[in-house]
Amino acid sequence: MELELAEKIVGALKEAGISFVAYLPETRLSQITPILREDGSFMVVPVANESEGVSIAAGASLGGRPAAVYMEGSGVYVSSYNLLVLGKRLGTPMLLIVAYYGSVLDKRNSFLYALPGIHLIPILQSLDIQYEVLDKADGLEDKIKGAVKMMHAIKQPVALLFTGEFTA
Amino acid sequence: MKRSECFEFLAPLITDQLVIGSLSGQRVEWGHLCPHEGNLLVASMGAALGIGVGLALVLPHRKVIVLESDGSLLLSLYNLPTLGNLSLSNLAVFVFDNEVYSGTRISEPSATAGKTDLAGVARSCGIEQATTVREIDSFKREAEKALEENVLRFLVCKVAATTGHRQIERPNEDLWEHKYRFVRYLERTEGKKIFLGRG
Repeated sequence: MELELAEKIVGALKEAGISFVAYLPETRLSQITPILREDGSFMVVPVANESEGVSIAAGASLGGRPAAVYMEGSGVYVSSYNLLVLGKRLGTPMLLIVAYYGSVLDKRNSFLYALPGIHLIPILQSLDIQYEVLDKADGLEDKIKGAVKMMHAIKQPVALLFTGEFTA
Repeated sequence: MKRSECFEFLAPLITDQLVIGSLSGQRVEWGHLCPHEGNLLVASMGAALGIGVGLALVLPHRKVIVLESDGSLLLSLYNLPTLGNLSLSNLAVFVFDNEVYSGTRISEPSATAGKTDLAGVARSCGIEQATTVREIDSFKREAEKALEENVLRFLVCKVAATTGHRQIERPNEDLWEHKYRFVRYLERTEGKKIFLGRG
């Protein structure tokens, strides 16, 4: 992803009020992590597993810091139990910043990614997690702001799936 | 040593600490002995320690106590390297290790009934103050230190597999109500808004 796009994502997260990010880096959006770390308004926590990211973000969120978890699409599979019991059953607001690998618009798609990509949205639907697909920079700020507003309104996770321009 | 004896010692020491609990009989037992507004008993395996880490990070001036079990911790061992690296001085972790999955009703043994030493795993992940206690007097000594000192402590408490919690009437408060109670308590004691949605 171009540096300018990464800066735009981080700027929009900050503008929307996100101040805590737990993350497990991956290939599509990883340029955002040094920018997040350098920006003093975020508390940034690397984790060993996306499930852990969800539970740590839940604690941060319930402690008063609007929280996000940045992960690859595969992380939704890995963390689905915690998304269900902490995100939905306990009802914890958090933003999921998901690299939507294996989607039709994924510029690096291959036999490695396509299958998990095909099943990602059905997984989110089965968990009843609201999601929005972003494939270009136009309207990025509004979508991030809207997703954060939604997560506070429903006190549950909301997912942003980044593909297209963000996967170059 | 029984878990209930440990809880009977810990409960009167709770003032403004936040207590995060997992599943199993300990949720029922602790909620009964210490019905504190700062309790967040998440009723799920493998999540309490992560939530405790998140709370301890964003509220560094508050003591956070995590009540885990052997089964729950074994399900989420990935927390330990993160915890070792963060070394949160306001966090105290108690793992009540009865060496069985007692909820199975046939007390199927967990890995800690075999060769797994959870305090050893924690130390190898960089959690320096990780230790195992087997007697109530040692528990009291270590628990007091964990609550008083400003250093990350990880206490594995070897307890008997008991079933006393099955005699305790279960609360009818659902998890959303439980969460609201916890968050409103935090909002009141921290003097800030936590839930930001508006009507």
